[in-house]
Amino acid sequence: MDKKYCTYICTGCGIGEALNIEKVAEAAKEKGYDCKIHSCLCSEEGVEFLKKDVAEGINALSIAACSRRVNFDIFRFDGCVVDRVSLREGVAWSRSRVDFPAPTEEQKDDEYFIDNIQHLAEDYVRMGVARLEKITVPVPYKLENFNRNILVIGGGVTGLTAAVEAADAGYNVTVVEKEEELGGYAAKMRKQIPMGDYSKGLVDPVVGKLIEKAESNSKITIKKGTVVARIAGQPGEFVVTFKKPGEKIEFDVPMAVPEDQRYDEKGNPLDVDQIRVIYDKINEGRADVLSIDPNGEPFAGVVLAAGWRPAEIDAEKYAYLGVGNKDVITNHEFEQLAAKGKIVRPSDGKPAKNVVFIQSPGMEEGDADFEYAGSVTSMVALKQAKYVRDDYADGKAYVIYQHMRTPGLMEDFYKEIQQDRGIFLTKGAVTEVADNGGTLAVSAEGTLLGNDVTIKADLVVLATGMVPATKDNPVVNLAYRQGPGFRDIGIFDGYADSNFICFPYETQRTGVYSAGAVRRSMTIEESTEDARGAALKAIQAIESANRGTAVHPRSGDMTFPDFFFQRCTQCKRCTEECPFGALDDDAKGTPKPNPTRCRRCGTCMGACPERIIGFADYNIDSIGSMIKSIWVPSDFDYDEPPLRILGLVCENDALPALDMAALHRNSIHPYVRIVPVRCLGSVNVIWIKDALSQGMDGVFMLGCKHGDDYQCHFVKGSELMDVRTYKMGETLMSLGLEEERVEQFEVAIDDYDKVSDMINGFVEKIESLGPNPFKGF
Amino acid sequence: MSEKYMVEPDLQFIDDVMGLGGESLKKCFQCATCSVACPIAPENKPFPRKEMIAASWGLKDKLVGNGDIWLCHQCGDCSTLCPRGAKPGDVLAALRSYAITEYAQPKALGKMVNDPKKFWTLTAVPAVIFALLAIMTMFGGSFMAGIFGGELWYHTHDGNPFPGIAASNFISSWFVDMIFVPLAIFVVTVFAIGLKNFIADMHKNALLEGKTAKEKIDVKEFLMTLKTVLPKIAKHRQFTQCGENRERSTAHMMVLFSFIGLFIVTSVVFVGVYFLHQGTPYSQLNPIKWLANVSGVALIIGGVLMVKQRLDKKEDQVSSYKDWYLLGLVLTIGGTGMLTQMSRLGGSAFLCYTFYYVHLISVFHLFAYLPYSKMAHIVYRTVAMTYAEYAERK
Repeated sequence: MDKKYCTYICTGCGIGEALNIEKVAEAAKEKGYDCKIHSCLCSEEGVEFLKKDVAEGINALSIAACSRRVNFDIFRFDGCVVDRVSLREGVAWSRSRVDFPAPTEEQKDDEYFIDNIQHLAEDYVRMGVARLEKITVPVPYKLENFNRNILVIGGGVTGLTAAVEAADAGYNVTVVEKEEELGGYAAKMRKQIPMGDYSKGLVDPVVGKLIEKAESNSKITIKKGTVVARIAGQPGEFVVTFKKPGEKIEFDVPMAVPEDQRYDEKGNPLDVDQIRVIYDKINEGRADVLSIDPNGEPFAGVVLAAGWRPAEIDAEKYAYLGVGNKDVITNHEFEQLAAKGKIVRPSDGKPAKNVVFIQSPGMEEGDADFEYAGSVTSMVALKQAKYVRDDYADGKAYVIYQHMRTPGLMEDFYKEIQQDRGIFLTKGAVTEVADNGGTLAVSAEGTLLGNDVTIKADLVVLATGMVPATKDNPVVNLAYRQGPGFRDIGIFDGYADSNFICFPYETQRTGVYSAGAVRRSMTIEESTEDARGAALKAIQAIESANRGTAVHPRSGDMTFPDFFFQRCTQCKRCTEECPFGALDDDAKGTPKPNPTRCRRCGTCMGACPERIIGFADYNIDSIGSMIKSIWVPSDFDYDEPPLRILGLVCENDALPALDMAALHRNSIHPYVRIVPVRCLGSVNVIWIKDALSQGMDGVFMLGCKHGDDYQCHFVKGSELMDVRTYKMGETLMSLGLEEERVEQFEVAIDDYDKVSDMINGFVEKIESLGPNPFKGF
Repeated sequence: MSEKYMVEPDLQFIDDVMGLGGESLKKCFQCATCSVACPIAPENKPFPRKEMIAASWGLKDKLVGNGDIWLCHQCGDCSTLCPRGAKPGDVLAALRSYAITEYAQPKALGKMVNDPKKFWTLTAVPAVIFALLAIMTMFGGSFMAGIFGGELWYHTHDGNPFPGIAASNFISSWFVDMIFVPLAIFVVTVFAIGLKNFIADMHKNALLEGKTAKEKIDVKEFLMTLKTVLPKIAKHRQFTQCGENRERSTAHMMVLFSFIGLFIVTSVVFVGVYFLHQGTPYSQLNPIKWLANVSGVALIIGGVLMVKQRLDKKEDQVSSYKDWYLLGLVLTIGGTGMLTQMSRLGGSAFLCYTFYYVHLISVFHLFAYLPYSKMAHIVYRTVAMTYAEYAERK
């Protein structure tokens, strides 16, 4: 692309007042490019001004005005590369002229006067031009064998709802169900919790109608008694192999090497080649992930609605709850009993009129519920209590809970059930279920009744939770090098999820959306709603793949990672570190990119030691050049040269926090130069090394929280960077630099009130360390 | 406390309490706002939360003999603040009502008193008795004089029938006392039996729930405590702590003091008739008459105020038959009492006797059914408050 550059400086919103604009323009012109000044670029007149230039051939615009997070729709010019230099949030609003005053009339011509804020603005416009030189207009990646079919795994309420919704939206859907019958668990219940209006009492299961609807829809194909052997390829062009449950076929999905086999006898981690040997061994007889089943069926997106199974009760652990006694059953067994007819004792078939529902195991478990229990377990206990009352006029149902979870409007269901005079609810810890020769005696302490109580029962029901199908089995069976399931990052307990709150339906695999009980335990009503959302997400993914843009979270991003394979050393770091399994290396270890699986976070780019991965508008060179264009003054320039500190800032959460801080006029020290990055995972340590070797005094990274409550948009980015920073420390020490010069901070998007202090604290620390000894070399 | 409590919910009990004005009891979700809001609940084992829970579990044994339900003055703060509309104040009122019928023997009579369908049956009893007595007084005067002795028969100033209109010319005061004196003995007996069980249960409950440190009740000390409690009741000290409907205490005080006034009047008249041979009616200038009139007027005003407050509070407070029965009775007694006097002074024998007839029936209602109606709270609450004071309810 033949580029014609121009920098446009806006003087509105306080920029003009804070800076010597003429001198800023001079900095922008240093490379011989043009620079124009305007009083309000975002006004109609300002945009016309820009458009006129674009029409006259300018195609590389550096707009030095407000943050890239605002007015992005206004400063968009097709076929042009645009950089946004943040002079407003980044300089005028966030650097204090009170602490760092502009030069007075006398100081104006004083060569030794240091105007730190002016220096910053000049650096920023230089960086803008430097970046423009290194980026190009992205060309979207187009698939060769694009299709629009949706695969729904699971024929229960969730799967069928997703299928019907997607079919109604005009997509061809295939539902695959491992059982011989559709309907899942919902088809085996006596009654279900009402949907919407909780005052209606229990209603007949809705699943029957749903099955009819799905079966009669011409756009829906149903495969019963079938499972997915493998899903190969990528969103938009998946190739799916089906099989009968239990069957062994060539296209069974290759498994990942289990964690415990990744170490030698001494406990040292094996290297990638050794692991590959084990990988090949355990997958002998299975076609490799890269070989495509010629008989496979084409799909574009997947909805995973594999549902759940009842959790098992550990008979030994819960012996004090009478587990093993025929009349002590689980809520699942109770439901089956209820579906058959009146509730009777399994031991002698006599009516079970006094039923105690135990929601939490008590004793050593403290106030914890049974495993995988949640709000649904509470709701089910209320529902099943009602069964007892429906069957027997003198029936009594007791619910002993540690938590009665009825979120949102479900509270109305609790209110409704509570009105039944024969249903008794209390918080409490069950201490014993004893067999009193025929009847059971349930003892509990810490109840609302003020005493330790004993309740006579004909039947005791233990509230087991809902274990997601993905806990036992990957189910989706993706033919991905990282393994057939979603990576277990140790915090989802087997649920198919990637983020608790921010991104529902999203898994760690693009194009695969989970819904219903596989995501978290849900009622039928919740599952129905969830299915609709997941179906829409699948459609969104398909259409994005078709356009060659990213679907989430960088929706609309047309770039994708580009590999310069000639220099690849087959180290497999990118394949290993990609949070989304987008790369499948071949037998030699060369990564095969799958662009529609990719979320464009750039983690591969940050990981690559050879620095051969980059995006059209974001690459090692573009950021590296920005850093290199920062002027680092040394003793040659000033007796006491001002420090230079680089901040690599995550643009998802940290950058918005900084912009908000600027909006509040919370000031940041003008030594600091901010460079936004897609994700800390994309930060290549070469940038840090370059910055330090050119004399910058410190580098900090501002990223999302990681750990159990991680907020990273790309799951692992900030955590990966933390590891890299740690390793970086050793390198610094060997160079004779203090490792404290590089630090990573965690910041949440709403930490605008803390982020300035965080940065200024780092500046103070660097000041106390003194200038970088490499300065001036 | 460590003793295990066998939970045996009584579904019938739940139904009964709900029927007595506690229909909202199952709405409780145990948040304890009520116990926090209550201005008179003690810090240790505060009511009414525990009573709400026990009630929703149908635990009759924890409630009927629970002294705490009587400490509540139903000011309504809890009901107003209850986030679920469970109205603990009304539930406690219903529980008290249930407890009254539980302790008053025979229980069948208690059931009738609280059953609106049985109202006319219960009214018929005094109606027939007093009709018969009126006939005997008016038409069998000389016959009666023969039996009782001429002078005694009339209970007048001069031993002759009162000239003109007088209640005793309609139904002899002999007859009236022949009915009410045994009735009073009956009432006292019923209360005595009820209280014996009540105090025993209350003590058992207090020991079980750790509300007292006293092992045994010392009767003498207990009675001594009554001396300190009665002035508190007279001053309505608990009542005035209410936030929600403080004005109710004024009305209640008026009614209570009217009854006390009328009790004094009745006692004086009784002494006058039987010991000083002074018959009724008294002169309008007699201080006793003044007291009677002031009390009568206060009774009516207090009753009207209470009715008004109940009507204003329809949303926040349940008013059931037991409440209207008692208020109706109060107003009828006060109203017919005053009307009897006014029609007598006005010179209409027919009106005077008709009102007096109704008056007697309503007084019979009040007296005979006292141990079974809401009115019994005068005894149970006094005893429960005395017990709480005596047992140093923590």
